[in-house]
Amino acid sequence: MLRITGGTVHDPANGVLGVVQDVCIADGRIVPKVEGGRSIDATGMVVFPGGVDVHTHVAGAAMNFARGITPENYRRAIRFIQTPDRRAGLGGITPTTFATGYMYAGMGWTTVNEAAVPILSARHTHEEMHDIPILDKSSLVLMANNEIVLDLLEAGEVERARQVVAWLIWAAKAYGVKAVNPGGIVAWKSGKNAGALSEPVEGYRKVTPGRIISGLAGIIDDLKLPHPLHLHCNNLGIPGNVGTTLETMKVLEGRRAHLAHLQFHAYGGDGWGTLRSEATALAEAFNARTNLTADAGAILFGDAMTVTADGPWEHVLHQLSGRKWSNVDVENETGCGIVPYTYKERSLVNAVQWAVGLELLLLIDDPWRIFLTTDHPNGGGFWRYPELIRLLRDADYRRECLKRLPPKALERMVLPDLDRQYSVSEIAIITSAGPARALGLSRKGHLGVGADADLALYEEKPAAGRMFEYPRYVIKAGEIVVEEGEIRAVTQGREFIARPAFDEQIEAYLRPLFEKVYTMSFDNYAVELERLAQPDIHPCRP
Amino acid sequence: MPTLTLREQPNVPLEAESLSPDVMAGLGLDAIRALPVYLGKRQRRVDEFFEVAGTTGDALEIRGDARKVKWIGRGMTGGRIRVTGNAGMHLGAGMKGGAIEVSGDVGDWLGAEMSGGRIRVGGNAGGQVGAACRGSLVGMSGGTILIGGTAGLEVGMRMKRGIIVVGGRARDFAGLEMLGGTILLGSGAELRTGAWISRGTIISLQPIPLLPTFSYACTYNPTFLRLYARHLSTLGVSLPHDERDGAYQRYTGDAAVPGRGEILVWKPRDS
Amino acid sequence: MGGKVTCTLGEVKNRADFIVYWGGNPAECHPRHFSKYTLTQKGRFVPEGRKGRTMVLVDIRETPSGRAADIFLQLRPGKDFEVLTTLRALLKNQKVDEASVAETGLTLAVLQDLVDRMKRARFGVLFFGMGISMTRGKHMNSAAILRLAAELNAFTKFVCMPMRGHGNVTGSDMVLRWTTGYPFGVSMSRGYPRFNPGEFSTVDLLVRGDNDAALILGADPGATMPQPGIDHLARIPTIVLDPKVTHTSRLARVHITTAATGISAPGTVYRMDEVPLPLRPILKSPYPTDADVIQRIRQAVAAKPAWTPAPTARIANA
Repeated sequence: MLRITGGTVHDPANGVLGVVQDVCIADGRIVPKVEGGRSIDATGMVVFPGGVDVHTHVAGAAMNFARGITPENYRRAIRFIQTPDRRAGLGGITPTTFATGYMYAGMGWTTVNEAAVPILSARHTHEEMHDIPILDKSSLVLMANNEIVLDLLEAGEVERARQVVAWLIWAAKAYGVKAVNPGGIVAWKSGKNAGALSEPVEGYRKVTPGRIISGLAGIIDDLKLPHPLHLHCNNLGIPGNVGTTLETMKVLEGRRAHLAHLQFHAYGGDGWGTLRSEATALAEAFNARTNLTADAGAILFGDAMTVTADGPWEHVLHQLSGRKWSNVDVENETGCGIVPYTYKERSLVNAVQWAVGLELLLLIDDPWRIFLTTDHPNGGGFWRYPELIRLLRDADYRRECLKRLPPKALERMVLPDLDRQYSVSEIAIITSAGPARALGLSRKGHLGVGADADLALYEEKPAAGRMFEYPRYVIKAGEIVVEEGEIRAVTQGREFIARPAFDEQIEAYLRPLFEKVYTMSFDNYAVELERLAQPDIHPCRP
Repeated sequence: MPTLTLREQPNVPLEAESLSPDVMAGLGLDAIRALPVYLGKRQRRVDEFFEVAGTTGDALEIRGDARKVKWIGRGMTGGRIRVTGNAGMHLGAGMKGGAIEVSGDVGDWLGAEMSGGRIRVGGNAGGQVGAACRGSLVGMSGGTILIGGTAGLEVGMRMKRGIIVVGGRARDFAGLEMLGGTILLGSGAELRTGAWISRGTIISLQPIPLLPTFSYACTYNPTFLRLYARHLSTLGVSLPHDERDGAYQRYTGDAAVPGRGEILVWKPRDS
Repeated sequence: MGGKVTCTLGEVKNRADFIVYWGGNPAECHPRHFSKYTLTQKGRFVPEGRKGRTMVLVDIRETPSGRAADIFLQLRPGKDFEVLTTLRALLKNQKVDEASVAETGLTLAVLQDLVDRMKRARFGVLFFGMGISMTRGKHMNSAAILRLAAELNAFTKFVCMPMRGHGNVTGSDMVLRWTTGYPFGVSMSRGYPRFNPGEFSTVDLLVRGDNDAALILGADPGATMPQPGIDHLARIPTIVLDPKVTHTSRLARVHITTAATGISAPGTVYRMDEVPLPLRPILKSPYPTDADVIQRIRQAVAAKPAWTPAPTARIANA
């Protein structure tokens, strides 16, 4: 039992915007009142619901691949020394699993959504999640280049495609569906890519990226999944790709969808030399389309690790930057490309990218629809979210940073003209309440009675944004896990998974097909529920 | 200068980054005795392994067969270390300035990723002299390493700048993925010298086997070698260069990269 | 570590039309490789099966795998690095020394032909075995073949995969990577993970005698290590966990018989392409599992007087 007294509470989901009031916790939940137990005097502190990262890469084959190819990064990383109660770990741009839990919790974040899992290695993801302490987790499985699904869409067999998608989600013990470069990763297996939304995908005559997007979005809505289609649009990173993004938004009319790392999809220009921001046009279109949410995918100057299923894009990046390149094509499903990368202030392209992330966050009106991410580790390490918050809250600081950019870059962006500053409550929305709502996690992101008792308490410092660098306390499921910068308790979090309805008969269809195109026994494909530590199942009922 | 005499041979490697002029500067002998060293997983004191005597100063003397003592002189920025005996792995790793002198042998990773200073080893060195750490893109970026005896694998791997001199024979992969700088092989090397070199100069005073991706360019007496020879003679290293004594066969490579490195092989007159 | 371009085995089955086995003998060491993954299967995009694929075997001697090969290239022992480096140069239309190439046992013409065939492939795969990873050059041989595959992607799809074997070595690599950041050769002596092959890898530690105790699980170094390493294992307290009494058991202080994983104990195994597979035990065993034994050892250690790993704090100016 725990009582937090005298703190300034920001619980925007329940209309509480900076009100001094007590918060009572019992049995891991928010309760109206509590007798006895510990009390934290939160006078002079801001009380937030724990952070919810709607799009990050923390557990599974892609991240483990990245860890293996950059051992040199760990020499400069934060070290977590082993103690009798706490495992060792290394931070850096590809943190090890235990370190991931400590670092997110240490920042005040308590729930993370692993955004890209191949079904074939979902078992691996769950094993890593088991080793990420403290945090609650969910995962999204990659679907937009799944050849069994694409074949069904090609044949117009939407109903059967829906059954297969539902079966696959449950087999992977996932929470939702991710689409990355629809059609492009299939094409990459022949060394090609997908460009236009209306062009048939390599190897198909009818299926287009647009058809995959609308097909999957419809299936997900029909399945009543808690989170809509989570989409990494085609043409990520390419100058002029804003056109693709706008067209994608049209394809999604009438459907729910979440657009991932929108920054990477907001470019104008027709080449690297003419790259410019089109955040204004994109934000305008986005503001009008209330069926969509997005996360920023902002970049920060410094080291990053690009890790994405978008294999063809990574090959381009490798050729542009000359950095190490790794790639794995996953049979019948997807792929992964990795290129370590460094964003530099003096690079015209990187300067524009940096501005675009901020512009989107400042130009999109509704904080309930745009969320704070760096697409970790693609845009920068997640532990740097406080830097982003500072940039959003302090226009003077932004202007200082703008001065360090190449002058030519300033002509390619509108950021210098933007004065908006995020309020503390708005920060609570884009880092917690909004993502929780978009993910359909009804007990996360708020501090109403019945909510999970996940909180972060920050010192109310005068300097805007800096307050988020060091939470005084972090509480997870009612237990104090971080106190004054020290890990106090190492708990095991839950895994949110979805169980959409499907007809068991679909296995009769899948089994022979699977055995033909895969290389394992069908009975080894699905992850057993017993393998998950603390699963929390969403029944997907209307 | 404080003198540390090894009196207790560690049964497992002793990690002793405390043994550095930077760390010891301004410390009295009692403070030096209390400095931490790491025997496997346990923290110990310097004086559990070393007799500490002498005076304080910015020069440090170590005596004994310290072949299991690792990380001596790590990251030092100035001052001197003299080892009368042997030293273990990572001697002078990341060094930025100052001088280290060893009468005997040293372990692997001598001067790895150093950026300045001078290391002189009378005996043999291990592998990865002046090299990049595993996965790291760049090795030694400055400074001088002089080895009287032999050296192991991957001498100067991914070095960018600086000079490495090996008096005895080096093993495979000397100059692997070199980015710049100079390696002088007094007694040649085994296989795959200069593999995947981008830039830099490897000088061998003995014939060495070369990869098929190296092409013979010419035989000549490069002018710059006269300057090098003068510089090296101040370090006590003699580099033949006079056309009366012989000439260098120049090979360029590695075509696999393709790189613009060079290997100069000394060809004495009348041979 | 310079990057890796690879795929899962199903991609090979469905797409590969050009397969190179280098320094390995799959017919004997991975006996179902050809039939399950690489040659005889009718793939989604290789419906003709075997007829739609070309297999090249590169080795120092002909092995039973040669019977399945369309092309056998016999190179001299210890020349893999030279050949791979030459191939990298030929791929870039660079000049190489013909006489020097011939010393590898393969001529320039043969290597040029190989490069041309690789470039013309629709989807090529380089599988490499211990003939690459364990012969002179070791990790540089592996780096060379990985680099070649990556560079071939400027022309066509090409991937590279190590032919891993020996039980769940891939699984141990995976778990070590996600928990420590490093695949092997990890030291925890300073309380956090450090990596340095040659310093912390098993054979080097044992040969130099750098450790004063050993716990051996799922391996038999007493059979495979150089003699100084074996002698060291015999000198120090060595503990072995294994379903069988092994060579190492015979020189160990303690041998604990454990249930055979996959037969009597559950778990997960990671295939050579890093795909996880569940292990479903089918027989009961009277012996505890490895996991049980390790847990009990940990509990016993935890009950001993507390110590913490050497705190790596702050030596001023270090």
